[in-house]
Amino acid sequence: MGSSGFLRIKGLRKGYDGIEALRGIDLSLQKGEFLSLFGPNGAGKTTLIRIISTLLKPGSGSVRVMDFDIEEHAEEFRAQLGVISHQSFLYNDLSARENLEFYAALYRVNDPVGKTGELLRLVGLHDREDSQVSGFSRGMQQRLSIARALINDPSLLLLDEPYTGLDEHASILLSGHLRQLHSRQRTIVMVTHDLKRGLESATKVGILSKGRLVYLKERSEVDTDEFEHVYLRYLKGAPVE
Amino acid sequence: MRDALLIIRKDLLTEFRKKESLVSMVFFGFLLLVILNIAIGIGREVDGEIAAGILWVSIIFSAVLGLGRVLSQEKENRCIDGLLLSPVESEQIYTAKTAVNFIFMVIAEAVIIPVFFVFYGDRFARHLPMLIVVVLFVNLGFSTVGTLFSAITAGTRRNEVLLPLLLFPVITPLIALAVKVTGSVFEEIPYREYSSWLYIIVSFGFIFSGVSYLLFEYVIKEG
Repeated sequence: MGSSGFLRIKGLRKGYDGIEALRGIDLSLQKGEFLSLFGPNGAGKTTLIRIISTLLKPGSGSVRVMDFDIEEHAEEFRAQLGVISHQSFLYNDLSARENLEFYAALYRVNDPVGKTGELLRLVGLHDREDSQVSGFSRGMQQRLSIARALINDPSLLLLDEPYTGLDEHASILLSGHLRQLHSRQRTIVMVTHDLKRGLESATKVGILSKGRLVYLKERSEVDTDEFEHVYLRYLKGAPVE
Repeated sequence: MRDALLIIRKDLLTEFRKKESLVSMVFFGFLLLVILNIAIGIGREVDGEIAAGILWVSIIFSAVLGLGRVLSQEKENRCIDGLLLSPVESEQIYTAKTAVNFIFMVIAEAVIIPVFFVFYGDRFARHLPMLIVVVLFVNLGFSTVGTLFSAITAGTRRNEVLLPLLLFPVITPLIALAVKVTGSVFEEIPYREYSSWLYIIVSFGFIFSGVSYLLFEYVIKEG
């Protein structure tokens, strides 16, 4: 890995139907950094996550992870990637265990059965491992979705509004997992509306507004009250000095 | 190929658990045979070409029902994103989905064809080995093109309406050839007289396999 960053985004632009969702994003993260990205609805947060995860092609610009272009080395990159979204990516007609074993096999995990059992215990679903996902509550599905995203022990974890629909217990559980991953030098990018959760573990915070990264600072340089004030002004669409 | 097999196994497990596609395919095919039998006149003998037309209408219309489900089930909880985010090549997903469609067609035909013999005369059953050859090659062409078109329409809100509208113009030559060849088989016309049509069916399957295999990535991913 070069000294220039684990994740490097340069001049990233993306448009849909004549609307520019991203207008030139430049961003660099070192290995082990945790970026929380905030922004109003329609700011381009999900588009950014979908481009980094290779689900969407960039209009222009580049995304490099560990010094390789993610478009050119998509399969190798995805083997190192975990994504948690407000969508679970889980099959309703399969059990919790079957879902995880399926993904473990796709990621060529050594000992998929053992890894599945370990993750089910981690997210507290080992007693429901043979239940079909269709019978799970939203919080249980999200917990299983966390296990799914961790099945390949990813180097880069992307989270798109992961707290949506979670109860307090599941939110605390997710925050705990994220802190644990961060302590193991995993690089994390999370987009969220949840200021409290977003700020508690981040090492860097940013605000995306109208397709531009308008704010990016080290967490240690940010005063929580001041950040809240700045963020609320962007939410209201008012100019920020 | 390993990844394709994993997806096939997962799809078959889901289907055998729910029996959503297969039951509707078989039931619809059976229903069409009954309706057409009543329309023609119960017990009335039909010639080979008409019998072939009836058989293929039942098979193709029932197959379209299953076709839409195989990819649209991946849209639930955005499971398709889960597949696309894994290190699996899009071509493996296409191969798996085509194979699943092919398997569903074979299973549905295993019920529809014997019912067809019961309704329209067991004299056609004498030609079962050649009929199986024709059916398998038509299945190949249908499932390769059908999987590509079901991927195109799976993301739309009216996919069950859009799929046949887009698919039928493309597969009409395949269906016409299938009827022609099957009719010739039922009429006991010598093989050399219809072999060129059979070769076109085979070519259709292989050409569209290649084209669809290459195009699938662009269809399944957002631009």
